[in-house]
Amino acid sequence: MKASQKNGALARGFRIGKLGFGLVGSYLGYQAQNLVLSESGRTERRARFHKKAAQQVSGELGALKGSMMKLGQLLSMQSGVLPEEALRELAALQMHAPGMHASLARAQFKASMGKFPEDVFREFDPEPFAAASLGQVHRAVTRKGENVAVKIQYPAIRSAIENDFKMVRSATFAPQLTGHLPTAAIDEVQRGIMEETDYVNEAKNLKFFREQLADIEWVTVPRVYEEFSSDRTLTMQFVEGRTLGRFLETKPSQKVRDLIGARLVELFEIQTTYLKAFHADPQPGNYLFQPDGGIGMIDFGCVKRLSVDWREFRRLHDEWGWRESEAAERRFLKIICGPNVPYEKARKVLPDLEAWWELKHPRGSGDYFYGQKIEPLLKKKIDAAKARAARTIFQNKLIEPEYTFLSRADMGLCFLLEQLGAVVNISEITRRVDAGPKTFKAIDS
Amino acid sequence: MKSGRRVQKKEKTKRAILKAALELFAAKGFYATTTKAISKKAKIGEGTLFNYFETKEDLALYFLEEELAGVMDWHRTNKRLKKADLAEKLFAIIQHLLERLEPYEEFIGAVYMRALTPTSKLSPFSLEAQDRHLRYLRFIREILLEAEANGEIPAVGDFGAYAFGLFQLAILTHWLRDQSRGKEQTLALLDRCLKMATHFLRNGGWNW
Repeated sequence: MKASQKNGALARGFRIGKLGFGLVGSYLGYQAQNLVLSESGRTERRARFHKKAAQQVSGELGALKGSMMKLGQLLSMQSGVLPEEALRELAALQMHAPGMHASLARAQFKASMGKFPEDVFREFDPEPFAAASLGQVHRAVTRKGENVAVKIQYPAIRSAIENDFKMVRSATFAPQLTGHLPTAAIDEVQRGIMEETDYVNEAKNLKFFREQLADIEWVTVPRVYEEFSSDRTLTMQFVEGRTLGRFLETKPSQKVRDLIGARLVELFEIQTTYLKAFHADPQPGNYLFQPDGGIGMIDFGCVKRLSVDWREFRRLHDEWGWRESEAAERRFLKIICGPNVPYEKARKVLPDLEAWWELKHPRGSGDYFYGQKIEPLLKKKIDAAKARAARTIFQNKLIEPEYTFLSRADMGLCFLLEQLGAVVNISEITRRVDAGPKTFKAIDS
Repeated sequence: MKSGRRVQKKEKTKRAILKAALELFAAKGFYATTTKAISKKAKIGEGTLFNYFETKEDLALYFLEEELAGVMDWHRTNKRLKKADLAEKLFAIIQHLLERLEPYEEFIGAVYMRALTPTSKLSPFSLEAQDRHLRYLRFIREILLEAEANGEIPAVGDFGAYAFGLFQLAILTHWLRDQSRGKEQTLALLDRCLKMATHFLRNGGWNW
């Protein structure tokens, strides 16, 4: 590591430290410390990579970002109020905690469960096999011989995040007072982050999805072992399968890729149409793939509820239903922009959206396939049209938070399909899901 | 052989007194417990008690010595830790000590308050306390020497073990006031401090 780099990281650490709450009281403090601790700037390089990836995504789909990024935008309008780092970290979609060595993981398990892992399980692997939101996952075997995955959260990290929000609140008192930064916006983001990192909430989500998807034999949602779980520890059934990258290394056939692609789309459609809630974290690490096309769904921290009628949205969106009448157009815009944006203003986005979709899937051209080869010139045109639509939405602030999450999930799904190299007849699947057995229950029913 | 048996018997009596004292401290508190009550509970004469422990402070010192000896034994028999890096080893040592002290938290708090008095034998800077901790400090010194030999850290001399002793005291202070569930704040503090310290040592962040 160059001396200047090191000083930079240190200086940043101290700068953030000044705003912090002592040594353990700040999540941002952890991030600063990680920069200092990074061997030959590895972490810093990773951070730069994340930033670059984030920029690519935002460049492509400027408006369609998560609510945390929204806070980042809101706060950055008040430039100079907070250090850039604080904003970037809090606005990051994925939260990272420092790694835990075996002794710490063991001690933290006891702090959250009252007993050491060896007193609870027959076997417990002290080395983690995966990272999780603010923690890590260990393999274990219960006394009854069941294979489980034990997710352990880094000690006191949620209270550290809460402290950072206190800092954000006190530092932005003036803009909150003047209404430039609505307090409700900070509340919403904080609520979201705290919910996503609460393992009790995740266990609840797991149970719901496991029950609802129980009849689909090709999908596995792990069972939760409540007796070995708390808000900081989550013990689940161990799900077989490989993460996307590892799965692709096994060179699965095109048939299997297409099958998995179609199943992923079907899962998304079932969630949005019937369950009224969806797995909104587009991270490919949240899925495990099996050689026969089976899918394991893990990590249910980020689940969003859906209030729109998905069938109606499909009709308005995919079948150009919004062109039928002014009333249809109004309903469609309400879904995308939310009820608070005036119709006249929201309408601005329609020409751009129409131009984009007309290129992507022209009216009357039959079923829509994802992953079909498109000639490069047309692809360029489609991308340009998409960027134009995104810009219009973004610049006019025409976006409903719920739609933001839908877009995020959709974006994640597209990313998965692209990586898989799957060709999927989307129209056929939506028709099938629409007509299929309706034994599902919505989340709040 | 005879003297060996006598030492053993003495040690047994000392432990019986400590056990009785700890039970009383837990029930009545450190300050309110009299030596008379301790000797009665241990079923020995008050005079005999004084042969073993002159004051309650000596009892507390003996308690800490025993616990530190327990930590050393535990560490020596823990095979997995032998392969761990220095930060984890030191973490495990302090964490195990805190684990042992957990049932006596209130007593430790009282001892700690008493230790702040400059004339107290319990003060970490008193000769008595330092003398009793020598074995423990040597044990830490050995661990640091091992890390020096592995090239994990540069040579830190005796100062390393001494600094560790002070650090342990600071962590104990934090642990006593830590109100978080399972005292997880202390775990995080311990982890972060040790990671930082070993990092700086390794990279020569400071001139020694």
